[in-house]
Amino acid sequence: MADTLLEVSNLSTGYGDVQVLWDVGFDITRGETVCLVGSNGAGKSTLLRCLSGLIPATAGGFRFEGREMAGRSPQDIVAAGIAHVPEGRRLFGPMSVHDNLLLGAYLRHDKDGVRRDLDRVLSLFPILAQRRNQAAGTLSGGEQQMCAIARGMMNNPKLLMIDELSLGLAPQVVEMLSETIRAISKDGLSVLLVEQDAITAFELATRGVVLDSGRVRLIDATAKLAENPAVQEAYMGLA
Amino acid sequence: MIYLQYAANGIILGGLYACIAVGFSLTWGVLNIINILHGAFIVLGCYITYFAHQLFGIHPFVSLPLAGLMVGILGYATQAGIINRVVGQSVLVTLTLTFGLDLIFNNALILGFTANYRQVVLANPLGTVEVAGIFIPLDRALAMVLALLLTFGLYIVLQMSRLGRAIVAVRFDREAASLMGVNVMRTYAITFAIGAFMAGAAGSLLSVVFPIAPITGHLFLSKAFVICVLGGIGSVPGAAIGGIALGLLESFSASIVGPELALTVAFVVLIALLAVRPQGIMGREDMH
Ligand SMILES: Nc1ncnc2c1ncn2[C@@H]1O[C@H](COP(=O)(O)OP(=O)(O)O)[C@@H](O)[C@H]1O
Ligand SMILES: [Mg+2]
Repeated sequence: MADTLLEVSNLSTGYGDVQVLWDVGFDITRGETVCLVGSNGAGKSTLLRCLSGLIPATAGGFRFEGREMAGRSPQDIVAAGIAHVPEGRRLFGPMSVHDNLLLGAYLRHDKDGVRRDLDRVLSLFPILAQRRNQAAGTLSGGEQQMCAIARGMMNNPKLLMIDELSLGLAPQVVEMLSETIRAISKDGLSVLLVEQDAITAFELATRGVVLDSGRVRLIDATAKLAENPAVQEAYMGLA
Repeated sequence: MIYLQYAANGIILGGLYACIAVGFSLTWGVLNIINILHGAFIVLGCYITYFAHQLFGIHPFVSLPLAGLMVGILGYATQAGIINRVVGQSVLVTLTLTFGLDLIFNNALILGFTANYRQVVLANPLGTVEVAGIFIPLDRALAMVLALLLTFGLYIVLQMSRLGRAIVAVRFDREAASLMGVNVMRTYAITFAIGAFMAGAAGSLLSVVFPIAPITGHLFLSKAFVICVLGGIGSVPGAAIGGIALGLLESFSASIVGPELALTVAFVVLIALLAVRPQGIMGREDMH
């Protein structure tokens, strides 16, 4: 398909002798928001870590804009246009919000573009503009998540992968972040969203991938998944 | 009045010590490597400056960039080629490695330059001025000013530049840094090279103050160690303050118990201080 941005095929990986993912396959179309749901320990973060080059694939691979990326370094993957907002935000706590955002644009040399994107993320998250010179580690949980997403966007990526968007955040904050995700995906950015809270995930994404013990169980439109009794029972807290 | 003189001597010495310690502290803070080679790097800087002066008549302050660069390149090669293989492992492993490298390096220095002491004798020394009853040796004072400028320059690089951001990011969370596209191993090698550059440059400055021999490397290393623990590991302002603190301590104790025991007194004070304030004078803050 001409419009496929990311194509994961038969991907397996793990840590040392422990295999975590088996034969994972799915794809993301340009501009699409796809969510990845699965219970704790299913391997969602591991999948993202493999896609950003932090851990190698043991079998299979993935193509980004048609180019095989498995085995590439994290720098190559960032440069290709994949940004990873990691679980737990992983901001550089002692550095200012501003410096964190600049690190998101570390590989970019188009100064004007970086300045434009800085203005853009600061207008998406006005609170970050106020906190610009504050150490990132002193932000509230919600502000940290905004900073982490903004930092990812400073790479001007084609695919933004967010691990655990809503974890530990108040409902109003999640609502606000969801609005932002909608806005940026309307601008054409593809999003791979990892969420434990399937209800939030299904609202944001058009399609969902259900990961169960390291294997893909289901791939479907989120509207369909939301009606699936097995999904309802396992991930939406409905019996 | 004599105490003011001791203070002036101590501050001049301390500025040089800051420059000795800051590279060591950076390597320790960012790479978590206690670089035993640091003393040998300083001595190599001394020799480069010594021979530039002896053979070509180049003033030590002029050959400083050369000494810094040469030692810096050697540092880059050492980190990229050897130490990066064990970086991230426990301090014991990296310490053993740099200790072993230091043994090799030291013997190479002795083979190359013999164990004899040498001293740079300036052709046109600037002499001494008297300010309000305090005597200030101008060459040393200038060396101190340059040392503090280098230290301040490093601080600015770490605070303001893209490279500095990458170094601080790698230090704080190497995995998150690589998600930003930072090449962690190369950043380690550059950080180590900066530490080596500072050592080589410090060597140039020290050559106008101290006689040099391969063995003096260990003396400088132990001073860097004391300063680093005093000022807080990985902190540039900490190294500056720790350096001046050690300089003052040595100057005053030299006048009271004699110069032979000055460093011993410094170590005793260090142990006493650590018992009361294990985090150092400045606390274990970051480079920010
Ligand atoms: N660094 C690691 N070393 C070894 N095993 C790990 C590591 N990180 C995660 N795992 C294991 O991999 C499995 C999947 O974890 P993870 O990808 O974090 O799941 P999820 O993000 O879906 O909650 C778990 O069984 C976990 O224990
Ligand atoms: Mg996870």
